[in-house]
Parts: sequence; structure tokens; C-alpha cells
Amino acid sequence: MDRLTAEETNLNIPAERLYREAPFLMRVNKRFRLDAILFTLIALVMIGIWSYPVILTVMNSLKTNASVMLGPLSLPIPPTLEAFIQTWKIMDFPLLMKNTAFLAIGGTALAIVLSATPAYVLSRFHLPGGELFFVILLTGMVLPQQAVIVPLYDIMSRLKLLDSLWGLLLVHGVYGMSFTLLFLRGFMASIPIDLEDAARVDGANDFQVLLRVIIPLAAPGVAIAAALNIISIWNELFFALIFLSSPEKYPVTMGLQLMTTSRYFLSWNMPAAAVIIAQIPTILLYTFAYRFIQKGLTAGSLKG
Amino acid sequence: MTAFIPPESAARPREEVSRVSLRGALSWGDFRRYWFLFVFGIFVPLILFMVFVGYPMLNTIFLSLFKWNGITIAKEFIGIQNYINLLHDPNLKVSFINNMLWFVLTLIFPVIGGLILAAILSSGKLFFPKLFLVLMLLPITLSMVTVGTMFGLITNPVFGALNKALASIGLGFIQPDWLGPNLAIYTLIGVASWSGLGLTTLMFHAAMGQVPEELYETAEMEGSKAYQTFLYVTLPSIRPVIGIVTILVAIGSLRAFDIVFIMTRGGPFKKTNVLGYLLYTEAFTKQHFGYGAAIGTIILLFAAVLMYFYIRQNVLSANQ
Repeated sequence: MDRLTAEETNLNIPAERLYREAPFLMRVNKRFRLDAILFTLIALVMIGIWSYPVILTVMNSLKTNASVMLGPLSLPIPPTLEAFIQTWKIMDFPLLMKNTAFLAIGGTALAIVLSATPAYVLSRFHLPGGELFFVILLTGMVLPQQAVIVPLYDIMSRLKLLDSLWGLLLVHGVYGMSFTLLFLRGFMASIPIDLEDAARVDGANDFQVLLRVIIPLAAPGVAIAAALNIISIWNELFFALIFLSSPEKYPVTMGLQLMTTSRYFLSWNMPAAAVIIAQIPTILLYTFAYRFIQKGLTAGSLKG
Repeated sequence: MTAFIPPESAARPREEVSRVSLRGALSWGDFRRYWFLFVFGIFVPLILFMVFVGYPMLNTIFLSLFKWNGITIAKEFIGIQNYINLLHDPNLKVSFINNMLWFVLTLIFPVIGGLILAAILSSGKLFFPKLFLVLMLLPITLSMVTVGTMFGLITNPVFGALNKALASIGLGFIQPDWLGPNLAIYTLIGVASWSGLGLTTLMFHAAMGQVPEELYETAEMEGSKAYQTFLYVTLPSIRPVIGIVTILVAIGSLRAFDIVFIMTRGGPFKKTNVLGYLLYTEAFTKQHFGYGAAIGTIILLFAAVLMYFYIRQNVLSANQ
């Protein structure tokens, strides 16, 4: 058996190599290695510091304003829901949530309806100029909203869509299209063509093929696109700020900014409670669909 | 914030895709047979896109040549006067520097930080790495309004937690005004980095999972140390993803608006102005729409360069 050389006997040898090459040493149990425990502890401390802003916000939403002023770092003992109750009274959350849900669900649905057919066309056919068509549709994905906002405002006012939730929904739908298209196209390209040929032999037309064969098979892709679109529209501020002027049409982000903007907060517990209420739907969506969301955010940045 | 990367199958080599799934060419002659695909697959999306995205992009450049208050129909043609005014606008200079600073610092923290964290997460020396990822990704579900509010409270000079925490660990003599004229922009960028770190970590982590195991085994047999493996095996293997993330970070810094709007409104003394916020105040509070369009054109110019690289890197190369 090869002996380890003198310089290799220091601790720089990877553990796996030591394990393989030195059977005469005590076998290390990989699952309970000391360094793994140490690493995990360090990582836990780091993640604790990193998520401390969220923890602080939750803690302070459970205090009275007086105790926040005494010390924002102390634990909420006893916890009180006073801030939530007061915030709920001041802000019309049911209305804000209703508007936001309308925009998020409607805009997402529109984005998916609009991009399903072009995604199918682009994944199935050689199109003269198809590449250009695809690239044009993709620009909406990375375009800074400010670069188009002045003319877009003009167009919206000409179409009488200013201060209209339907108008904002339309804009969200169109801007959500790029990402959805990119995503669905990839998914549809991986569906074998034989499956739709069977339907075509039975006399199904393009619309039926798309609705009955392609979309059900691309359902995971649709779910991922939907989850990401809903979250991004729920959290969107800029378009809502520009296009909406009456408070009864505001989504939650606009309602929140009225209460919480600028550095001169008068209290901490109420804004904290307000942002928590506002994010409950997206956090719930994230908890139930985080696998989808993670997949959507990373899928295929990696070439095979 | 969503909107990133083409799915796996889009990244497949073209021949493979065509063998599995291509129906052939679609040309005008097929219109009667495939009218549904022509109408809803090409015309409707293209028209909507042109109305709400394409035309505004071009019209931004056109409108930047006018003096216009956004309400009247009459616009006064003033040529490049808006751009000359911009050159003499001290706010533009400040905004531009802030945007550059935003770009450079978000490149350092979320990108390099994300690389290191992803390397730790995929090192296999961690129990439940998935759980860490789930926690780190949580900020992508929070709106910038929420994030800005949270950090506005933490950095508040009167009762903010950050200064209280400094005091409690014996650093009471350092009580910086985090949102004061000197520090505010760094605070804002720090907040932006906090909310972006999870996403970059996730993307790098996923990319590292795709690096062929043999490369690591070879490196290990050659006696490569952990940091050497990272530098000479991991980093080169995930270079395309680093490129994509860098472009996205650059676009993100060009888009910066929400945090500025929530936390400082460009203040104090307009020291935290960024291009996006400057445009908003000029066009939508002072009614200088032509001037706003000129700022929009500058943003568009930078965005166009970034979009070119993004699409080349991300979409077209994946098809060829």
C-alpha cells in the first residue's frame, strides 16, 4: 500500500481522499463529520443575521408603540395584536387586497393566454423571421420601465385607460408576456410531436390541439410562469404609481407607500404590521410553490 | 424581478429539438390552414407588444426632442435643447454617479457574495443546504415597498434598531445617520443588495449543480485544494451564468426606483437621486415630459446595450 507522503499528512487532504486512501485510519462517519456541524453552525449564524430585518419586523409588529420606542430589539412580551388591529382600521385592506388580486390574477391570466399560442408557434414551426419575432417579444422582459413610461403614459391617456384597473391589468399582461413566452416555449419544445399528431388525426384543429394536448402537458410550465407572474405583479409599484390616481383603485403597494414612505415614521409597530399583512399572500404562495418558483428562477440558465 | 433565464429545453441543440418537435416551416401560403396560429400566435401578441412596448421605446426618443407638459396636444419642437439642459443639470450628474455606484456595489455584494454563498451551499459540507436556500430566497416574495419600509424603520435615526444594536454592543459612540446626506446612497444600495442576494445565490447554486462531477474528481486526484478547485474548475464552468447575472444586476441598477422612492425620495439634498427617480420627478411631478423623455432615452440607450448582450448570451446562443 502506498504510504502517504510527509507533506500530505497535513490537514489539507480532502476528507473523501483520506477516507479512500487511508483505510488503516479510523473510518470517519461522513454524515456526522465535525466540519459539517461547524459549517452548518456558521451558516446558521449568518442566516440569522441576514434574516434579522424580517425577524425584527415581525417582533415589533407584535408590540405596542411605546415598547417599540423603549427598545426595538427587545422581545415582544407579552405579544399584542394592537398594531394589526389599528392598521386594519386605518387602511382598507380588503379593498387593497381585492384590487391587487384582480391585477395579479387577471394580469397573469392575460399573460399566459397571450403567450401560449406564440410559444406554440415558436416551438413547433420554422418561421421566416421567427428569431427576430422572438427577440422583439423578449425585450419587454429586461426593459427598464422608466425607459418607456413617458410615451406609455401618453398612450394610456389616449386610450382612456388612465386611472383604470383594467388598463393597468392590460399593461401587466403585456409586460408579463415576454417571460411567460420564453418559459412556455421551452416547455412546449420538449413535448413529443406524436402526442398532438394523434389528436390531429382525430380531427382536432389548432385551437383544440393547443387547449387539450399542449397546455395540459405543459401544465408545470404554466404553473411556474403563473407563480412568478403573480408575485411580480403583486409587488409592482411603478406602473401603479404612474397610472392610478384614485385611492379606491390602489393596489397594496400603493396603499403601503402612503403610510410608510420617507424616513419620518411616527411609529414602528404599525408599518411593520401593515407590510406583514400585505405580504401574506405572496409568502403563502412561496411556501406552497417554492419548488416551482425556484425552478422557474433557475431553469436552464445552465446549458446542457 | 422574475424574468430570467430560458428553460432547459430552450437550451438544447437545435437538431435535437427539431427531431423531437418541429412541424416544419410556416409561411404565408399556409394562412388558411393555420389561421388560428397566425392570428393569435403572431398578429395579436405582436400588435399588443408594439402598442405597449415597441412604440413607446421609439417614441421616447422622438418625444425627447420636444417641450411638452403632457396634457396639451401641442408640443413645441426644440431639437436637442433637452439634452443640452441635461448636460447642465447637476441632478443628472449626481443621478448618473449614483447609478454607476449602484451597479458597481451590487456587482460586488450580490454577485461575489452570491458566488461565495453558493460555493458554501454546494460544498456538501452543510446539513440541509436546501433549507438555507429557501430562507435566502424569501426576499424575492417581498415587494420593494415592504423591504424599504422594513429598512426605513431599522435605519431610523431616532428609534432605529441598527443604532440601538450598535449601542448595545458598546459602540454607542458610533451613531451614524444612515439616511443622512453622506451615507444614504450606500444604505439604499445595501438594502438593494440584501434583497438581491438570495436570487444570485440560487442561480449560482443551480449552475454549480450542473458542473460535471468528473471535473471535481479529476481535480481532487490531482491534489487540488478547495479554493483552487473553486477558482479553476467551478468558476470557468459557470462562466455563462456569471455573465447573465452580471447583465441582470446592471439592468437592476438601471431600474432602481422603488427603494429610493420609499426610503428617501431622492433626498436628503437630492443626494440619492437615480436616473429612474429623476425621470419620475421631472415628468410626473414637474410636468416636464420632454425632459423626462430625454432622461428615458439615456436609460434606454444603456438598456439597449445590456439587452443586446442579454439576448445574445441567453437566447440566441442557446439555439445554435
